[in-house]
Amino acid sequence: MTDYAKPLPRITPDNRTFWEAARRHQLALPRCAECGRFRYPPAPICPQCLSDRFEWTTVSGRGTVTTFVIFHQRYFPSFAADIPYNVVQVQLDEGPRLTANLVGVANAEISVGMRVQVVFDDVTPDVTLPRFRRATA
Amino acid sequence: MRDRAAIIGVGTSRFSKAPTDTPMRLAAQAFKAALADAGLARDDVDGLAINIGWPLGVDYDRFAEALGLRIRFADQTWTHGRFVGPTLQHAAMAVASGLARCVACVCGVCFIQERGLLGGPGDFEGTREEGGTHEENPVYGLTAPAAGAALSAQRYFALYGATSADLAAVPIAFRKHAALNPAAIMRSPITLEDHQGSRFVVEPLHLFDCCLVSDGAAVVLVTTPERARDGAKAPVLIGGMQGMRAGPDEFLFAVPGLGIGQQREFRYTPSEDQLSVYRMAGVTQRDIDGLYTYDAFSPLVWFVLERFGFCGIGEAAAWAQKGRIELGGELPMNTSGGLLSEAHVSGWNSIVEIVRQLRGECGERQVQGARVMQWATAWGDSTIFHT
Repeated sequence: MTDYAKPLPRITPDNRTFWEAARRHQLALPRCAECGRFRYPPAPICPQCLSDRFEWTTVSGRGTVTTFVIFHQRYFPSFAADIPYNVVQVQLDEGPRLTANLVGVANAEISVGMRVQVVFDDVTPDVTLPRFRRATA
Repeated sequence: MRDRAAIIGVGTSRFSKAPTDTPMRLAAQAFKAALADAGLARDDVDGLAINIGWPLGVDYDRFAEALGLRIRFADQTWTHGRFVGPTLQHAAMAVASGLARCVACVCGVCFIQERGLLGGPGDFEGTREEGGTHEENPVYGLTAPAAGAALSAQRYFALYGATSADLAAVPIAFRKHAALNPAAIMRSPITLEDHQGSRFVVEPLHLFDCCLVSDGAAVVLVTTPERARDGAKAPVLIGGMQGMRAGPDEFLFAVPGLGIGQQREFRYTPSEDQLSVYRMAGVTQRDIDGLYTYDAFSPLVWFVLERFGFCGIGEAAAWAQKGRIELGGELPMNTSGGLLSEAHVSGWNSIVEIVRQLRGECGERQVQGARVMQWATAWGDSTIFHT
């Protein structure tokens, strides 16, 4: 049993590999086997060339904050103790943007354009969430 | 589709922040008010276009059954305010094609009793595994439509040097309009200091950047121009329309190109295709006497101004200052007070306002000489109305 009360990801046939990779502390995205484009969210078809062929590919986990927000209103009781907490969108160097939290940075210091690096948070025995920290030079 | 459909009547319920009525009761009040406004009888209505259905509103089948309507064109759009324009367009196309003689567009919403849908554990759409349509991602605590607008505002601020204080001009303007509207819920003026001092909901959005959570209903009756000329009041014609956009260039709460979620990043300039509503209506932006938009969050007003070419990309923050979007200004917007100050009837309250303005019924807040008005949204749908 776990006392983790926050929402957990919905695992589907399309995204299962993403979450399995996260458990191994790897960030993996589907990459089109025809045109080479990375895509996110995971989906069975390439939005660029419509190819069904793709490979799960480990990515660098490095990227740039493209936008962020700070939650002040309590929506989830399970996040109440974290308020005010941040949510960031990060454009990975491979192209797709991920939504996550930025850890180890005060809310007032977050900025658009900040370079970040993925970290992995084992929130339950079965689920690991990718988050981001400030990148080291 | 130019002038192939017209609005013959409009009606509203009381707008309230006190949840005393069901969506059905509110929608029925608005429906009867619209019939009286049009000079029509119940059996003149043979089409029904619902936005929004259960659980926020009433579904088409129950509404038809409860009001004894004999419907031969039933339509219902997804449970979202973004479908105001498409629903109205379905009604216009139905009467133009002869599928119905008169379509009632019905929106009766009780946001207060279903508040949980607007964020938090009850936000079931946010649990869509690819994320919600406002970028909801509950795993990381990202929930509520406000968050989508906040993501866009933050990036816009960073790219163009705009600030929250610039944004304040939007809710301040619409509150002034609401002060002239007896039906509006929030009518006390607000100042820049009030705006900046109000609590953050999802930073960078303050409380006054976020719409009311309220209950209310509005009904718009759409028929052919020939039938509309026999109505109790002057018809309001639908001069042009363009549909809602989707795809790689789009994020619901941003102008194309801003780069939110997976939205492609580029410098947007409106193409002919993005502005086809004007061509269909045979007018330009300069002919628009009033612009109405879905103002659930104040940044959406900036995005619609840029999307439809009233100003350039990154310019709306400065453009919307100094009363420009207020009554008496160059481009009055949301003259009823909109979702930010009149009520959140999903935007249908603004469609009703357009009709009343074009008929000259708006008293103290009347746009003098109003002939052409436009509904347009950040997500690209638009409808142009004229006398």
